[in-house]
Amino acid sequence: MREALTAAIADIREEDALELTQQMLDAGEDPREILEACREGMALVGARYEEKDYFLPELIVAGDVLKAIAEIVKPLLQGDGEGADTLATIVIGTVEGDIHDVGKDIVAFMLDSNNFEVIDLGVDVPASKFIEEIETRQPEIVAMSGFLTLAFDQMKNTVAAIDEAGLRDRVKIMIGGAPMDDTVTKYIGADAYGTDASAAVTLAKSWVGGS
Amino acid sequence: MTTFQVDFQPIGRRGPCRPDESFLEFARELGIDLISLCGGHGLCARCRVQIVEGHVSDPTGADEEHLTERELAEGYRLACGCFPRGDCTVGVPPESLSTAMRSQIESRETEVALAPLVAAVELALPRPSLEHPAADADSLLAALRGRPGPRVDAVDVDVLRRLSPDLRTWDWSCAAIVRGREVISVAPPGSRPVGLAVDLGTTGVAGYLLDLASGEVVASKGTMNPQIAYGEDIVSRITYARNSPEQRERLREVAIAGLNQLAAELCAEAGLSATDVAEAVVVGNTAMHHLLIGLPTEQLALSPFVPAVSDALAIKARDAGLRLAPGAYLCLLPNIAGFIGGDHVAMLLATAGDWRGRHAIALDIGTNTEISLITPDGAVRSLSCASGPAFEGYHIKDGTRATAGAIERVQVTDESVRFQTIGAAEPSGICGSGILDAIGQLHLAGVLSSNGRIQLGSHPRVREADGTREFVLVTEEERGGRKAISVTQEDVREILLAKAAIQTGIGVLLAESALAAEELDVIVIAGAFGSYIDVENAIAIGLFPPLPLDRFRQVGNAAGLGAKLALASSVVRDEARELLDRVDYLELARYPGFSRLYGENCRLAAVEPAR
Repeated sequence: MREALTAAIADIREEDALELTQQMLDAGEDPREILEACREGMALVGARYEEKDYFLPELIVAGDVLKAIAEIVKPLLQGDGEGADTLATIVIGTVEGDIHDVGKDIVAFMLDSNNFEVIDLGVDVPASKFIEEIETRQPEIVAMSGFLTLAFDQMKNTVAAIDEAGLRDRVKIMIGGAPMDDTVTKYIGADAYGTDASAAVTLAKSWVGGS
Repeated sequence: MTTFQVDFQPIGRRGPCRPDESFLEFARELGIDLISLCGGHGLCARCRVQIVEGHVSDPTGADEEHLTERELAEGYRLACGCFPRGDCTVGVPPESLSTAMRSQIESRETEVALAPLVAAVELALPRPSLEHPAADADSLLAALRGRPGPRVDAVDVDVLRRLSPDLRTWDWSCAAIVRGREVISVAPPGSRPVGLAVDLGTTGVAGYLLDLASGEVVASKGTMNPQIAYGEDIVSRITYARNSPEQRERLREVAIAGLNQLAAELCAEAGLSATDVAEAVVVGNTAMHHLLIGLPTEQLALSPFVPAVSDALAIKARDAGLRLAPGAYLCLLPNIAGFIGGDHVAMLLATAGDWRGRHAIALDIGTNTEISLITPDGAVRSLSCASGPAFEGYHIKDGTRATAGAIERVQVTDESVRFQTIGAAEPSGICGSGILDAIGQLHLAGVLSSNGRIQLGSHPRVREADGTREFVLVTEEERGGRKAISVTQEDVREILLAKAAIQTGIGVLLAESALAAEELDVIVIAGAFGSYIDVENAIAIGLFPPLPLDRFRQVGNAAGLGAKLALASSVVRDEARELLDRVDYLELARYPGFSRLYGENCRLAAVEPAR
């Protein structure tokens, strides 16, 4: 059944995936098996996206499927020390003043499917929220999204605030969204920028030594 | 040889046509640029005309193949296989005309009852004397008192600065230009006030000079927005303006200089001077509006996207730096929201005849597409969607602006492809209407999967090079060894993202109004790109709902027309204010389930070709 779930996720068969999840639980299978199927399925989705066979709609629906499965499975895993085998923790959000989430959601999804523990703060996230999450969740990486070039200033402010809070050297910061380059990255004070979701994954892996 | 008198309508060109000369050939001889993708062989069915009156040759096999029985009965024929058999009148539907041709004839005008805010009053003033030493301005106001309308009791200070010498030069006869209670100019007797209407676009600017006594357009001119040098799109200009007060001032200065030049050129064309311009109405998106009068713009582009001001403004033109008549006003139509400006309001005003009392969608497609849904009770719901620049040819591998040589029409056949370029020039790239046609046609031909993946082996012109799939419109050989012109996988996806944004906007407006698409009586498509697209192909990719083609109206630059109407009539300006009160603005990106909807709309739905 695990293979069937992996395939259902990879093929974006939403109803099948949820049904299989329920069947696995009813059959008494380990919820971690379900999560593993999700991870494998997502890896396939990511690969098909890379190959250009998949496009935005598949990623968005796959993200929704994952969320739905997680809601069923996560309560059963309480106290299970989640994230034991993740590569690193990443806090991600679209900065204050910007409310675009499609691109940020895809990056979050791709990171998640590549074994990162992703804490998604949503959109229009003030600097104080990033700081709070860095303090409580101790992430290795912060990913900031801004679709508007105007968001660059808010990204810069956010990095400055993280610095002022004395947390700057505890995290690597990546930025993405609007067209960016090294000059922008330097202006904002981030460590690197990415042009798409796979770039974000490559960057994150290079920072934490995953492959 | 006998010839027959053939009259093409509504273009109004006619001449003698030989019986062995097809309407396609004859139209071209008269300079009418009918679309023909197949070279006049009855294959592409794009050169449709309607025989309104007179006898013509019998329908051909091609006519029977491409036209329905009803169309044949209504007199439709393919111009390439149709010959006159007597004098006749031939109707040319807009969709059969090439882009350049359409822009010339499609500047439609809407009749409006003249009610300008300014009027000239001819006066003969009494000379002052020692017995009656009345001040010149008092004499002027006293002379105006006898006429109907509001009591005129103010004279603009710049008018006062020249009134005394002018009255003496003109021997106490003059034309007082009055606006409401104020004299805004005093001109030589016999002067007629003119007004300036401007559609200030992010890229292009359209200016019109109107005779305010007759409503007639006495000069018109298109030019570029000089702010382009500081950023091509709205957001990059806002970014430039926020860097420093000097940079914001710079953007204001160049825009005003551009308008001063436009006014001077229009006036020169009409044999007038800019000081004859008694009133200016400018419409633009909210950012252009703000930058023109030096308002801050950064809050426009950041959540929650609010304008500095949304009400209509009437300020002294000189305060904005415009050099018109001494006390002339610059009037700006109201803004709806940060991304929906006075240009959209102007478009709604100009197309009111199309939507009033009906269920209607009115949209202006651009980098930002503003969409309004209007219901018969007059309520308006508006939103803006980030459709991106792909429809303008940007972010498309071989994309280009709509200039000579741009592929503007595409038809995919079983084995090959046909296209037409602007001006029938050598193909140089693909413009917006061409890329939309291409995606629609590739979809209908089964070349694309539902998520836009180009399917290998689906068509002889599909190929894969360097890991990228593409559909070749013009091969290297066909271009004499130069790089092929093609539609790449990435291009397809760019267009799908753009169309999904608009499709989602329309869908959300329908859902919010609890309407089904079929309930829409009319879809008004404004703007340059929207006027030239092939609606059938736009429906095929899902950009528009699948409604009968006669519900779509492609209206050209309706914002410019709205500016002219507002200039000509205070009633229209009141309508603008009143419209603003009825508008309910929606923030699309915050709509529940937006990303899921948007994602789903990135797909191509299976469609039956319309008709």
